Amino acid sequence: MGVQLRFGAAILAAALVGAGASPALAQKSADTLRITMRAALSNIDPYYNNERTGVVMHHQGWDGLVYRNPETFKVEPLLATEWKLPDTTTIEFTLRPGVKFHDGSAFTADDVVYTLNLISDPASKVSTPANYNWIDKAEKTGDMSVRVKLKRPTPAALDYFAMVVPIYPKAYREKVGAEAYAKAPVGAGPYKMTKVESGVSIDFERFEDYWAGSPKGKAAIKKMSVRFVPDAATEMTELLSGRADWIWNLNPDQFDSVNKFPNLAAVRKESMRVGYLALDAAGRTGADNPLTKLKVRQAIWHAIDRQTIADKLVTGGSRVPGAPCFPTQFGCNGEAATLYDYNPAKAKQLLAEAGYPDGFEVDLASYILPQWGSAIQNYLMAVGIRAKLNQLQVGALIQRAKAGELRAYLGTWGSYSINDVSAFLPNFFDGGADDYARDPDVQKWLIEGGSTNDAEVRNKAYSAAIQRITQQAYFTPLHTYVTTYGYSKQLEFTPYSDELPRFYLAKWK
Amino acid sequence: MSEPIAIHAPLTSRVGVAGFTVGIVIVGIIAVAAIIGNQLVPHDPFTQDLGNRLKPPFWMEGTQAGHLLGTDQLGRDYLARLVYGARISLLIGIMTVITSGLIGITLGVLGGFFGGRIDDAVLFAITTRLSIPVVLVALAVVGLMGSGLGLVVATLGLLLWDRFAVVARATTMQIRSLDYVNAARCAGASTSHLLIREILPNIASHLAVVATLEMALAILLEAALSFLGLGVPPPLPSWGLMIAEGKDYMFFSAWVIMVPGVALFILVLGINLVGDGLRNLLGSERSR
Repeated sequence: MGVQLRFGAAILAAALVGAGASPALAQKSADTLRITMRAALSNIDPYYNNERTGVVMHHQGWDGLVYRNPETFKVEPLLATEWKLPDTTTIEFTLRPGVKFHDGSAFTADDVVYTLNLISDPASKVSTPANYNWIDKAEKTGDMSVRVKLKRPTPAALDYFAMVVPIYPKAYREKVGAEAYAKAPVGAGPYKMTKVESGVSIDFERFEDYWAGSPKGKAAIKKMSVRFVPDAATEMTELLSGRADWIWNLNPDQFDSVNKFPNLAAVRKESMRVGYLALDAAGRTGADNPLTKLKVRQAIWHAIDRQTIADKLVTGGSRVPGAPCFPTQFGCNGEAATLYDYNPAKAKQLLAEAGYPDGFEVDLASYILPQWGSAIQNYLMAVGIRAKLNQLQVGALIQRAKAGELRAYLGTWGSYSINDVSAFLPNFFDGGADDYARDPDVQKWLIEGGSTNDAEVRNKAYSAAIQRITQQAYFTPLHTYVTTYGYSKQLEFTPYSDELPRFYLAKWK
Repeated sequence: MSEPIAIHAPLTSRVGVAGFTVGIVIVGIIAVAAIIGNQLVPHDPFTQDLGNRLKPPFWMEGTQAGHLLGTDQLGRDYLARLVYGARISLLIGIMTVITSGLIGITLGVLGGFFGGRIDDAVLFAITTRLSIPVVLVALAVVGLMGSGLGLVVATLGLLLWDRFAVVARATTMQIRSLDYVNAARCAGASTSHLLIREILPNIASHLAVVATLEMALAILLEAALSFLGLGVPPPLPSWGLMIAEGKDYMFFSAWVIMVPGVALFILVLGINLVGDGLRNLLGSERSR
């Protein structure tokens, strides 16, 4: 190990010299937290991206009506001081007075009504409609009170309000328009966005007028700059050379090595994220493609040794979910799932039965770590499926997936950290842009499960959906994610299992 | 100290011969490894073993018996992959030289022999080719047609013929009106006889030197393209691809990029030594 570290240090020194020897110390003195991320954010407007980076950014820059305590997972007041549920399809919020947006305007019921009516309207084309299609309409009942009507009973409604419903400033956004808003966004969160360069960087500064007493608290670190880099190696170089103070999703293989550096810390925490392999069972990329055949899809499930991937590649306690969702989510009933063991011989046999004794070629797009994608590729290769791996950026892949252009792709879904299966399955099976199964029964069951508060009815519907999805091998859950973080030891940072780094809670030591 | 200095073997030439020998030995060993190496290495270059990943090579601690050069990030034997990669590098080098040589020599000899309009056309083709950036074209080709071994050979072969053409044209011009060519012409030899039997054999030595240079260049370009994800598609173990796959690990498991990097360096060095040696040998021959 010594030799390797020394060699690493030599490269490091070279990298430093190459960069004109920028300061190797954390930016404690400049009070600027420098963050580097791989997934370049296409649009910072929280409703117009469905990338985790976007969720992370919006929780720094925007406030929602309620806050979910990351330790207890209890929903607490944020912009709403209290709420009532007079019946199963109504929520009445009382809003907090004296809250200001970054542009100095006051927060009122108009802003909430504007936001909710905008995002629930299909014409607004938000990125994840499944997150909002349960909202019927919002109406103003007073200057500081709002009534929200739901289309159907929605058990996880408050979780959604806490995780994915930041509030827009109506006056400002209407004045500048959606496009300009994405370039100079304004929210009511602990950090204000001072400069947004799409896909390159985002600069934040502490919002000095942030309301006192918020569970998010006033940010301790004055400035924050987020930069996007293309790959993991660059990101690691930035951290090791002291040009970044915080990175995440670093390769688990480097976890121990980073921890050996005296000035760096690496921590990990299991998150609600599930890695998956999506298969075009509906024939969106071509009506008679091999993946439309059930036996081919079952062969693919049998071909991949998911347990070994979880144990040896992902590491840190990663699990293999039986059902296509995160095991703790309500309705993620693993016992309803058809299980597929690792059995390459059976996979080959199934392929032969499906009419592909010599396998076939398929394009496999991916935005997960390249070596994880290669592992899957090799497993498929071993049974005769010659997958051509095409490594893409998250945003580009999602765009092509939604357009129905990807026959098979490797991705991850974090459910917006909502502990209910309604945040997972509908995204992939509701007949929308991400649905590569197009199974009307599954769509019906998901609506059934999502439109009542009756736990028994919900479980029954979701179990039926999971049973069909796994039996038909539409969508392969590969493993749960263990998020890795690497940061400067000068930084005091706490990771939470909801995979939402809270930079407003971070401080310098 | 009156020992006469041998005129036919000056000092530079002796160094040249040594270099040539070393080059031949290096290329020979790598060629043998490429051809029969995978029969000698007891592992398959494609079989992954996730429980046995990133094992260091024999000179480091924690090495695993049986994996002489360790294993890569997916537990594949690194020696097996390296040897298989040699096959791909040499294959691409040789195939590219054959393709580009055919194109370049044909154009160059025709232009140099006939001159006039034909030469103008050949010169125009060479100028056009020289103004095309290789990597950019490769990028466009891969974007349009996907990546693959055959495509890399075709792309490089169609792009790297310019030096063959320049050298063939210049040398043909030098000898086209020499006495033996004229003699053959007067004896009634056909044009094809002149080109194939009189011109080609007499410029072959120059072309052999160009061939070695082009081969080294093609191997390096393939590695560069594969590193950029535009060359040989994974999981084929091209050396460039091995470096690309290992770059995430370079800080903490440096051998993952060092091994293919050093291999690439040695192979290209070997080929260049052969080329230099050829040039020196042929040069001293001519000076006689």
